[in-house]
Amino acid sequence: MNWAHKLLLIDRRIIFVVVFVGALIPIIWPIGLAVQISPPVKAVFDRVEAMKPGDAIMLSFDYGPSDGPELDPMANSILRHCAKKGIKVIGVSLFPLGGVEMAIARFMQLDTDLKARNGIDYVNLGYKDGAPAPMKAMGDRIESVFPCDANGVPYSEIPVLEGIRSYDDLELAISLATSIIGEWWINLVNAQFGIDVALGTTAVSAPKYYAFMEAKQAIGVLGGMKGGSEYEELVARAYPDLKGLSRSATMGMDVQSVVHLVIIFFILFGNVMFIVTKRMTRGAN
Amino acid sequence: MELQLPGIGEWVAAFLTLCAFSFLYKDNILYRFAESVFVGVSFGYYIGLAKINTLEPNLFRPLFGNFGEQWSLIVPFLLGVILYLRYIPKLAWVSNWSLAVYIGYYIGVNLLQRLQGEILPQAKGTMLPLNVGLWPTLCNLVVIIGVVTVLIYFFFSSPHKGVLKPTARIGIYFLMISFGASFGYTVMGRVSLLIGRLTFLVNDWARPLVHGAFGG
Repeated sequence: MNWAHKLLLIDRRIIFVVVFVGALIPIIWPIGLAVQISPPVKAVFDRVEAMKPGDAIMLSFDYGPSDGPELDPMANSILRHCAKKGIKVIGVSLFPLGGVEMAIARFMQLDTDLKARNGIDYVNLGYKDGAPAPMKAMGDRIESVFPCDANGVPYSEIPVLEGIRSYDDLELAISLATSIIGEWWINLVNAQFGIDVALGTTAVSAPKYYAFMEAKQAIGVLGGMKGGSEYEELVARAYPDLKGLSRSATMGMDVQSVVHLVIIFFILFGNVMFIVTKRMTRGAN
Repeated sequence: MELQLPGIGEWVAAFLTLCAFSFLYKDNILYRFAESVFVGVSFGYYIGLAKINTLEPNLFRPLFGNFGEQWSLIVPFLLGVILYLRYIPKLAWVSNWSLAVYIGYYIGVNLLQRLQGEILPQAKGTMLPLNVGLWPTLCNLVVIIGVVTVLIYFFFSSPHKGVLKPTARIGIYFLMISFGASFGYTVMGRVSLLIGRLTFLVNDWARPLVHGAFGG
């Protein structure tokens, strides 16, 4: 076996170590790379920015802890944006494995960051099983699906919900989604009730949602950590007093950039070694 | 900012994260332990979640607290109960009634959902104008050609010969580009998961531990 063959059969664990080190360095010493804004994210930001104080949105936490690194930053930025604009946020969760915990954590973060008030500026209605059924029923009456919030306070006693009966009373629904739940917000809620829908999705799911956006079924898409970092940047630009708050997606994009370079290097390296070994074998024959 | 020593939660999370990472070296008992803990905890969590967030506020409280007005909830309640009769072999057939209602409902919802919310709007989204300036027209043309050629690639009712062959070939290129984009996004997604765990290990566990142990 010649040197090229040996390099081609490099132990995968060496690659893991290189990726690990590549990811670790920017976490310890952030680089601070610039964030470029893309139209799908700008569209969501502009839609929220155009709302008036007192308008209401529904923010659906349709993801679990494993998607937190991608979707938590989106939730934080959107909640901060709404808090600064005086927009009411109605939090719900339709994802079983941890959605409601993610909502609780994000609202607690909002309390810490901007002193937002539960029940007055926002409400967390908690989780419901069987996503399409609650989605459909909320089109008639949200209270029939969520008779009380996550703390057990009855719907009618929550000030922020005054005057909000169904999707008709909301300006926008944003789903931070993993799996298929984001699609349901589009092909069920948007299609049947006409409310504008925006999506914040994991990177794995993002490509399919751009098709929905192109067909004008969604007003915009925040795709993966990149989308989250763009929204963080837009909020920081519009509200400079929020610049000091944590921006984990922006920091994460430093790591993404380094790790992607490592992966691109290994893809090119593997292909070059493949061609070299092929030529060597042909030459030997 | 003052750093506190990692608490028991951080220690457990860090230990389980490292157990999961150990699979990168090779399959081992620590990884399988973490995997089993995850499955067990997830299942227990889901049962508790369904009881507290759905069954109690939407079924038990209204049914038993206000039976006069909410008596109709007894129907879904009974359907839910008889679903478990499948564990009694002689009565297992009764559970099919619940399944029939469940499947029937979701087929009905899904049919409309797919047709009204996907097929028609997506087809409409492909019918694009070709007289809107050079660049937008070019973009629209790419979408139209992409959709048509990919559909032809998946048209198996006649052999891909004659004009169908190069058209299907173009469809393959569109598919390859789409797979490439998906793969790129998948890499970004997986790296994000790694970032999440490493950020936790560094900022929430290791850094406070080092500061606590050595000061500074």
